[in-house]
Amino acid sequence: MPVAASAIYFLNLRGDVLINRLYRDDVGGNMVDAFRMHIMQTKELGTCPVRQIGGCSFFYMRISNVYVVIVVSSNANVACAFKFVVEAVSMFKSYFGGAFDEDAIRNNFVLIYELLDEIMDFGYPQNLSPEILKLYITQEGVRSPFSSKASDKPIPNATLQVTGAVGWRREGLVYKKNEVFLDIVESVNLLMSSKGSVLRCDVTGKILMKCFLSGMPDLKLGLNDKIGLEKESQMKSRPAKSGKTIELDDVTFHQCVNLTRFNSEKTVSFVPPDGEFELMKYRITEGVNLPFRVLPTIKELGRTRMEVNVKVKSVFGAKMFALGVVVKIPVPKQTAKTSFQVTSGRAKYNAAIDCLVWKIRKFPGQTEPTLSAEVELISTMAEKKSWTKPPIQMEFQVPMFTASGLRVRFLKVWEKRGYNTVEWVRYITKAGSYEIRS
Amino acid sequence: MAPPAQSQRSPSPSQPSGKSEVSDLKLQLRQLAGSRAPGVDDSKRELFKKVISYMTIGIDVSSLFGEMVMCSATSDIVLKKMCYLYVGNYAKVNPDLALLTINFLQRDCRDEDPMIRGLALRSLCSLRVANLVEYLVGPLGSGLKDSNSYVRMVAVMGVLKLYHISASTCIDADFPSILKHLMLHDSDTQVVANCLSALQEIWSAEASTSEEASREREALISKPFIYYLLNRIKEFCEWAQCLVLELVTKYVPSDSSEIFDIMNLLEDRLQHANGAVVLATIRVFLQLTLSMTDVHQQVYERIKAPLLTLVSSGSPEQSYAVLSHLHLLVMRAPYVFSSDYKHFYCQYNEPSYVKRLKLEMLTAVANESNTYEIVTELCEYAANVDIPIARESIRAVGKIALQQYDVNAIVDRLLQFLEMEKDYVTAEALVLVKDLLRKYPQWSHDCIAVVGNISSKNVQEPKAKAALIWMLGEYSQDMQDAPYVLESLVENWDEEHSAEVRLHLLTAMMKCFFKRPPETQSALGAALAAGIADFHQDVHDRALFYYRILRYNVSVAERVVNPPKQAVSVFADTQSSEIKDRIFDEFNSLSVLYQKPSYMFTDKEHRGPLEFADELGNLSIGEAANNVVPTQMVEENDKDLLLTTSEKEETKGSRNNGSAYSVPYDGSSTSVFASQTQIESAVSNPTLAGHSPQASFAIDDLLGLGIPAAPAVLSPPQLKLNTKAALDPSTFQQKWRQLPVALSQEISVSPQGVAALTAPQALLRHMQSHSIHCIASGGQSPNFKFFFFAQKFEESSNYLVECVINTSSAKAQVKIKADDQNTSQDFSTLFESALSKFGTS
Repeated sequence: MPVAASAIYFLNLRGDVLINRLYRDDVGGNMVDAFRMHIMQTKELGTCPVRQIGGCSFFYMRISNVYVVIVVSSNANVACAFKFVVEAVSMFKSYFGGAFDEDAIRNNFVLIYELLDEIMDFGYPQNLSPEILKLYITQEGVRSPFSSKASDKPIPNATLQVTGAVGWRREGLVYKKNEVFLDIVESVNLLMSSKGSVLRCDVTGKILMKCFLSGMPDLKLGLNDKIGLEKESQMKSRPAKSGKTIELDDVTFHQCVNLTRFNSEKTVSFVPPDGEFELMKYRITEGVNLPFRVLPTIKELGRTRMEVNVKVKSVFGAKMFALGVVVKIPVPKQTAKTSFQVTSGRAKYNAAIDCLVWKIRKFPGQTEPTLSAEVELISTMAEKKSWTKPPIQMEFQVPMFTASGLRVRFLKVWEKRGYNTVEWVRYITKAGSYEIRS
Repeated sequence: MAPPAQSQRSPSPSQPSGKSEVSDLKLQLRQLAGSRAPGVDDSKRELFKKVISYMTIGIDVSSLFGEMVMCSATSDIVLKKMCYLYVGNYAKVNPDLALLTINFLQRDCRDEDPMIRGLALRSLCSLRVANLVEYLVGPLGSGLKDSNSYVRMVAVMGVLKLYHISASTCIDADFPSILKHLMLHDSDTQVVANCLSALQEIWSAEASTSEEASREREALISKPFIYYLLNRIKEFCEWAQCLVLELVTKYVPSDSSEIFDIMNLLEDRLQHANGAVVLATIRVFLQLTLSMTDVHQQVYERIKAPLLTLVSSGSPEQSYAVLSHLHLLVMRAPYVFSSDYKHFYCQYNEPSYVKRLKLEMLTAVANESNTYEIVTELCEYAANVDIPIARESIRAVGKIALQQYDVNAIVDRLLQFLEMEKDYVTAEALVLVKDLLRKYPQWSHDCIAVVGNISSKNVQEPKAKAALIWMLGEYSQDMQDAPYVLESLVENWDEEHSAEVRLHLLTAMMKCFFKRPPETQSALGAALAAGIADFHQDVHDRALFYYRILRYNVSVAERVVNPPKQAVSVFADTQSSEIKDRIFDEFNSLSVLYQKPSYMFTDKEHRGPLEFADELGNLSIGEAANNVVPTQMVEENDKDLLLTTSEKEETKGSRNNGSAYSVPYDGSSTSVFASQTQIESAVSNPTLAGHSPQASFAIDDLLGLGIPAAPAVLSPPQLKLNTKAALDPSTFQQKWRQLPVALSQEISVSPQGVAALTAPQALLRHMQSHSIHCIASGGQSPNFKFFFFAQKFEESSNYLVECVINTSSAKAQVKIKADDQNTSQDFSTLFESALSKFGTS
């Protein structure tokens, strides 16, 4: 059996139960005490998200200031359980208006009970699709923007439509203006050695869509990925157009995508759910365009002084710019005084995280600002040795840029009524874990 | 749903005390109950919401039951839903009140709105009150036939709930066969999926007693049914797909073309967004191709990309769940993943549980071509702030070195570690250098030069200290000051707390003595004297042994202590391959995360008794004089039980040494020395060590506590039992699994017996006087559970008994298993007579 959860608990950071649902009688009500005693109040917390105590297994996740705990008494499917929690939380978020924390839970007890009863019955996950749940939930949480567009009140006989071949979409949707928004969001993960060689680099991307379309539209998406293009040129028996093609290492799709057609024709075709959803996820390891290069030189001048020089080079087009660039340069704990010189942005010393934090709000392409800092240390014999030089970390967002080079070639909407649609496509690249060892 | 326990929350001043608010609510509800004024529903809603939030934060609002039920006579679905919630919460503790709600729930089950029908039915089934089951059958029956799929979906789960409340009612109403029909014919996939979950549970539970049920269970994995599900798999929701895939793994295809058909059909599931579906598909692929070696390899190649994607997406917890599976596969087929080693590099901010798995994988995939990069990377982690991870990575470097790739460079790195001058790095590196030298004695010169510079004062950890001492002893001829370092260690004998270190010191002194006698002689004498006076049994024994063998013949002693050594080529693996295969069979479950097969942590017979045993250990320490245990105290002990489980794990290692000798007597009474007994029992019982070590120790303790000098007792003539029977726990568990139930019966317990059974111990002592020994016990009023065993006099035939006593019904459920089935009836009589005397003597 995939999950057969016995109970689900929501605890705050002190370990108080905010709300819970016991699905089965096979665990005692005091099992949550065991969780509190053996995990929350010990060093165990955070050492492993799955723990067994007294015959029950606990799967727990921390989301903002709430612990979500699933208790099972059998040999359950962990991946399924965690996925369930993640899905459930994102659904709660959409009902609470974006936030999932202690306060949101306290304000929405009835709604949470309702949802928990619908998404899981006797420990088995049921339907979590927000479109369908909307029909059963009577409480008004703070609704997410997309669901407020359709009719707010459930149609009395809506249950009939719950489970057709297209379980994720309701029939009879009507929009005055038919619009599709498509976002390609990529995050770049980088691990660079102190000598400047790339140890590991990959891009995980997702395509997010927001559809406000009438009826039952059929969508078709074309990307400049290698397999898709080759297949296409093969089928049209003409050579592939020149230009950059992208090799995707692995792709996963939302359940609405017709996978049979993807495998035979290599096109992404689907009947989208109404509103917001994640169409696909992909991963790329070859040919990644790194948006930034970081060149650090950190010199230790004697026991009490350090000289830090960091140059950050933006290697994307000169017309583009990055937003919210933050460079965190770790310094030893016993840092006493710092002084900076930067050619762009602002820098300061943050003692809470033992880092020099350099922020540049708007960072144009093809530029290379520098930071030079002098750090004075309190001289202590013992701690000097234990400074382990954590890596320099970077945060950024680069709009209209994809590290993978992926582009949308076309997005076609077909519906039997033949209305016109407006399509919006955006690209953005963010830093995932962007680490440079110094 | 049970009411939230009050005790969990300390009343804080900001929280309402409850009393006045509740009576206030009661009044308001009563006013609204009869009212038909416009807008009354809205104010009711507000009040209901308040009631529910009070209920959630732990205020007892059960006194409002009547008012709530009265107010819910409405067509407003929002109100109804809240009322159902309330009723579901309190019905279990107030069965009488629950009866009040039956009426309106039953009426709602016939409502014209399918949503209300479904909700009412779900609430009705969730009341979980045993004496109300008769009211469930009707609504469930019509629910299963409902025209609306939502109602059917709820009804199917309702059947399962009914089964758990009263299995016989469920079977008598013939619900399983209705479910089977629905499963095969319903158009709604969620209904089908729920039927499948329910039937799997029901038939598995029934299979042990009913032939038909086990046949039905088999039918679930028959070809037509599996194909029926596979062909519809895309229509199922993601969770139901997991369920179906799980079932498919149990199916055995008839030939290879069938295997390929299934794999082709499921290929696209690997691209599903839900990681659980992907993992389930991977499991199907792996299981199907298990017997086809080359295809199995291709499967590894195929699933690599999806797995790596799953690892790098989602929350750390999710990626941990996937990573554990990847870890399992990497361990099985490291060469498949050797080019992907960069995926296992750790990120700075990753949680340590993820890093640990990655380190192990990096170790496993190392080969000729990537060793350099991997070791370089691992050395980066040695400077990690997270000390446990730093240690792990040093160990990983050592493991790679032991795998023989590019040892030269690695030894240099290890020696650099020794020079880093961080306590834990030095400690780990020392242990590794020791292992390396055991495998590659040719490196001794390089290593010794560095090791010689390490001051033993800087090494505190027992393991590292032991390693250093071992090297001092082994290479004393090459290390100039070895005898003097050892001598100073001997001088501080009393300050050395670890027995392991003292043992090594004795041996090292001996080795050193044979290599450099004049410099060592006096120190050796001091060491032997200190060792013989040592309070630790092992140290004492070894010192005495060395002393005697030296007196007997010095050259023999040298042969014993300093034999020519062969380099160790393979270090013992910690986990048997059989266990690894079992884990692999249970892919996509907790087994993989815990890295042990499920029977080790779910089987009641495995785990249950052990915990009871532990609890018993706690109980018997403080409560010898305390005959009457009030219920509250039992509850506290219950918490103790929870406490000890984790402590037990931590102390597992250290108890390992001690408990071997704490067993007062073991199976073989022929041997005189305690240590010999231990060896013999270990030999006769090779599973003991690898099986579940923590298990046996707990019970060893129990045996130690639980067996006072058993007085000789008159046994009934027909069957004589051995008064000093002994059986070690793992044999018990093994036998219990293997043997069929010879007899199963219900025995009445006399009222006196019930009165005397305040705690499990009372019965233990009694049964012991009848030569029936307890191996584990536990529970609290009114349910107690015992595992007994007895041995036939002068024969090794065993009887195993599981006995569950319910004091409120004064009945004992007894299951007997026996080596010799013919005498089980006699034994049962004996057992019954012994039990009936309980409380009267």
